[in-house]
Amino acid sequence: MTEALRSFRLLVRWQYFQMRRELWLLTSIQVLLALGIVYGLAFLIPDIDPRTAAFLATGAPTITLLIFGLQSGPQEVSRDKLSGRHAYISALPVPRLALPAARLGFWLLMLIPGTALVIVVSALRFDFALDVSWEVVPTVLLVTLSGCAVGYGLGEVLRPEAAAQIGSFLSVLILLFSPVNFPIERLPEFLQAIHLVLPIKYMADLMRWSLTGSFADNIPLAFGVVTLWCALGIAACWRAALSRP
Amino acid sequence: MLVEIAHLTKTYRNGVTANDDISLSIDAGEVFGLLGPNGAGKTTLVGQVLGSVVPTSGSILLADQDVLRNPAAARKTCSYQPQSSAPIDGMTPREAIQLIGEIRGGDPTAVRARAQELIDQLELGEWATKVVELSGGVARLVTFCMAVVVPGRVVVLDEPTNDIDPLRRKLLWQLVRSVADDGSAVLLVTHNVLEAERCVDRLAIIDHGRVVASGTPAAMKSQFQGELRLEITLEPDTQLPAAPEFVGSTTRQGRRVLADVELRHLQDAMRWATSLREAHIAEEFSIGPATLEDVYVRQVVEPNHVAEREEVTVP
Repeated sequence: MTEALRSFRLLVRWQYFQMRRELWLLTSIQVLLALGIVYGLAFLIPDIDPRTAAFLATGAPTITLLIFGLQSGPQEVSRDKLSGRHAYISALPVPRLALPAARLGFWLLMLIPGTALVIVVSALRFDFALDVSWEVVPTVLLVTLSGCAVGYGLGEVLRPEAAAQIGSFLSVLILLFSPVNFPIERLPEFLQAIHLVLPIKYMADLMRWSLTGSFADNIPLAFGVVTLWCALGIAACWRAALSRP
Repeated sequence: MLVEIAHLTKTYRNGVTANDDISLSIDAGEVFGLLGPNGAGKTTLVGQVLGSVVPTSGSILLADQDVLRNPAAARKTCSYQPQSSAPIDGMTPREAIQLIGEIRGGDPTAVRARAQELIDQLELGEWATKVVELSGGVARLVTFCMAVVVPGRVVVLDEPTNDIDPLRRKLLWQLVRSVADDGSAVLLVTHNVLEAERCVDRLAIIDHGRVVASGTPAAMKSQFQGELRLEITLEPDTQLPAAPEFVGSTTRQGRRVLADVELRHLQDAMRWATSLREAHIAEEFSIGPATLEDVYVRQVVEPNHVAEREEVTVP
């Protein structure tokens, strides 16, 4: 375990070395994006009431973190395969999942400040109350891990171009056809049935509940479904990472 | 033996057999050369030693650990320089070398000192602290340092001297030797037969996935005892006329022609080569004792020998 943590720490350092020249840019974009979303929300719905604003603002982290994994997972694995980094790290004495875990850790550190800023600034601008509970930590981890596991799994199994396309396709599906930014009742019945099995609705429920203490009823069920999907995603990712020619 | 490979065969799903019944062993303190043309199966063999490719049959033991059963142990035992440069974008060479040293389990202070030692020995000081696009040769040297900063008990070097200038190449060979002298088994994959001759303790030539010759350089050359090598560089756009009877088999690589000549025909060979030069067919020529390259040429390049490929093991 100590060795795994050591590998994780050193690979996060590697990730930092690779990104440090763009860190200021990433941070600036995060802040601007956060402020832009809040500013834009008022144009989208001119007379937005505090409850709707809270619903939308607390839905944003689910979308951001999930789509991040689906988009960046295939991209990073493809880039690593092309640059030889994937093969190089595969020959190093580090656990197979240490590299994806290190990337995830690094990107979480990058994404969380901006994501948190959207919620805090929205709460101030649209005058809704936040009631942040400790469950926000496992929720953020579960949502990000699930997205990343699927993203990395795609990157490991498919050719780079196909993985990127499927990652983008899934992102659009989630953005338009998932009950994150609108209630599930607005979807046709067959999509409602699908979303009762898929984890996306439950992820959004967990996120909202852990940030505001409302907008969700069956929290244990939501935790159970999301954890199960996350475990399945990691198992698939693990299997893909261990496969050898 | 630190590396024991027995009857290793690898057939990919597409039916291509990349390694066919390969057996070899490498001891601690030994530099073992693996020579062969492109597509001979060297990379597949290295992949199996590192545990990233699964053999179809046969076994690999690294320090008595079965690679197939325990690939994680193989990654710990082996440090590896790939044929391409290591991906170090965004890092200075010093940071990259230190990072890999620590990932390989080295103590940070000792790793820092060793990294500096390698940078000094290979004269990399002017690039050591800069985040810049490195030239091919410098990037290869940095990749080499990453492989030996905390060397494994087995060190696998894949074409370590590609793109490197002659001076630093010499320094690199000295370091390879010192890594072996410190107790590692070094598996050196190379195309460069002449350099390998100077650096390796033993070697194997592989072709079409099979070991076609193996042994020490001296023992392998001994099959050419009493033979000389006549090397002729032809003038551009000229053809070599039919060779006299005393000239053995000839091999042409571009403008370069290699011919076997027995010692007793030395004077005849000199006269023939001189006449070729006077007729402006040969630009230059040389005659000398057989080298490892002749063994390589005989085993791999000469079509007749390739057709009759048979394993030749020299003790």
